Amino acid sequence: MKRLIAACLAFGLVASAAAEEAVTLRSTEMKAKPYSDAQTLLTLPERSKVQVLQRRASWTQVKSGETSGWVKMLSLQLVRGTTQRRADNGLRSLFNVAQTGRGGGTVTTGVRGLSEEDLKNAKPNPQELEEAKLYAASKAEAKRFAMAGKLKAQQVDYLPGGER
Amino acid sequence: MRTLILMLVLSLSVPAQAFDFGNFDLEKAVKTVQKIKKANEDVSEPQEIELGGGIASNLLGAAPLLDNPEVQRYVNRIGRWIALQTERPDIPWTFGVLDDPDINAFAAPGGYVFITKGLLARMNNEAELAGVLAHEISHVLRKHHLMALKKGARSELFSDLANDAIKTHGGDPRLTKLVSAGTEIYARGLDKQDEFESDRMGVVLAARAGYDPYGLPAVLQTLQSINPGDSNLALMFKTHPSFDKRLALLSDEMTPALDAYERQPALDVRFAGVLGAKR
Repeated sequence: MKRLIAACLAFGLVASAAAEEAVTLRSTEMKAKPYSDAQTLLTLPERSKVQVLQRRASWTQVKSGETSGWVKMLSLQLVRGTTQRRADNGLRSLFNVAQTGRGGGTVTTGVRGLSEEDLKNAKPNPQELEEAKLYAASKAEAKRFAMAGKLKAQQVDYLPGGER
Repeated sequence: MRTLILMLVLSLSVPAQAFDFGNFDLEKAVKTVQKIKKANEDVSEPQEIELGGGIASNLLGAAPLLDNPEVQRYVNRIGRWIALQTERPDIPWTFGVLDDPDINAFAAPGGYVFITKGLLARMNNEAELAGVLAHEISHVLRKHHLMALKKGARSELFSDLANDAIKTHGGDPRLTKLVSAGTEIYARGLDKQDEFESDRMGVVLAARAGYDPYGLPAVLQTLQSINPGDSNLALMFKTHPSFDKRLALLSDEMTPALDAYERQPALDVRFAGVLGAKR
C-alpha cells in the first residue's frame, strides 16, 4: 500500500513537472499561510526558480525543493511558456477565442482582432451604442449586486505617484 | 481697446531693444494669443459625453458587442459599482464586452468603457475584471483621452468644441473629425504616465469597491506570461508600457499601502457562474 502511494506521488511529481514555473524577482519570504503575519518558513533568494501550485489574491502558493508555502504574487515573474493553464481559463473555447501556440513557441493565433487600420477607418454604429446603453446598470442595481457579492465599500486614499 | 491692451502686454513682456514695430504682425499676434487662450479651455461635461458617445459608436463600428446579455449586464454592474466609489459617480457610465479576440480594453470620454472578449477569456475571477474596469474608469476620471485630443493634431477642433463653435447636435463635420481623431488615439496609445496613473488609481478603486485589489496586477502578470509574438497582443504591446514596468511600479506602490485589503473577496465562483452560464 505504501508503495502504491509512493508510486502515485512519484507519478504526480512527473505530471506536475509540466506545471507553471516562476522566478523570484527579489529576496522573498515564504509563508506557511497566505498572510503577511503568518509564520515564515524560509527566505527564497532573488532569482529562485519555483513551481506554482495555486493563487489566492495577492499570494501565490509555490514549491521550492521539498518545501511549499506562500509568497507575495508581485515578488514572482511567471516563466513564459509554462503558463498555458493560467492563460486559458476555459472561457476561450466558450467565446470562440483561438488557442495560443503551445509551449511559448512562435506559433501565433490565426484570428486577427482589431487592427490599427480598423480603428483609423472606423465608422459609427449608433444602433450598437444604443444597445450597449440598454445594459447599463442603475445605482440601485449596482448596490444590490455588490451586496449579493458581500462587497463592502471602503475608504481608501489614492496612492502617491510613483516614478514620474 | 483690446488691441491696445494686447500691445501694452506685449511691449511689457518683450525686451525693448528686441521690439521691432517694423516687422510686427499685430493680427498674427492677436490670433496666437486667442489660440493660446482657447487651448486652455475645456469642454463641458455634456460636450464630453457627446464626444465620448461618438468615439464609442466608432469603436462599436470596428468591433460589435459580444452577443451575451448576461455577460454585458454583469460587466455593467461591476463597473457601475466601482464608479460609485469615484469622484464622478453620476455620469452615464456604460460598459461593454466587444466581440473581438484581441486582448485589449478601451475607455472613451464621458464614461464609456469596453473590454474585449479576448481579455475577458484570460481572467480568473471578478476581482481581476474589476481591476481592469477600474483602470479604464480612471482614464475617464482623469480625462486622459480629452488631454490627448487637446494636445494632438486636431487641437483647433477641440478648441472650437470648447468654445461652443461646434454644435454637438446637427452633424457638424468638425465634430465627426474630432470623433475620428479620438478613435485614432486607440491605435497610437496614451501617454505612458497616463497608463501608470490609471494602474495606480485602478487598484485603489478596486479596494474601495470591496475587491481584492490585486486583480489588476494578476491580469498583468498573466498577460506578461503570454508569448509576446501572439498577434492578439500586438496592439496592446504597441500602445501600452511594458507589463514588466507596470508590475514593478505597482509592486512598489501597493506594498504595504493596500496589504490591509488583500483579504477582500475575489468572487471567483460568481465570475465562473456568469461566464460559464451561456453557450
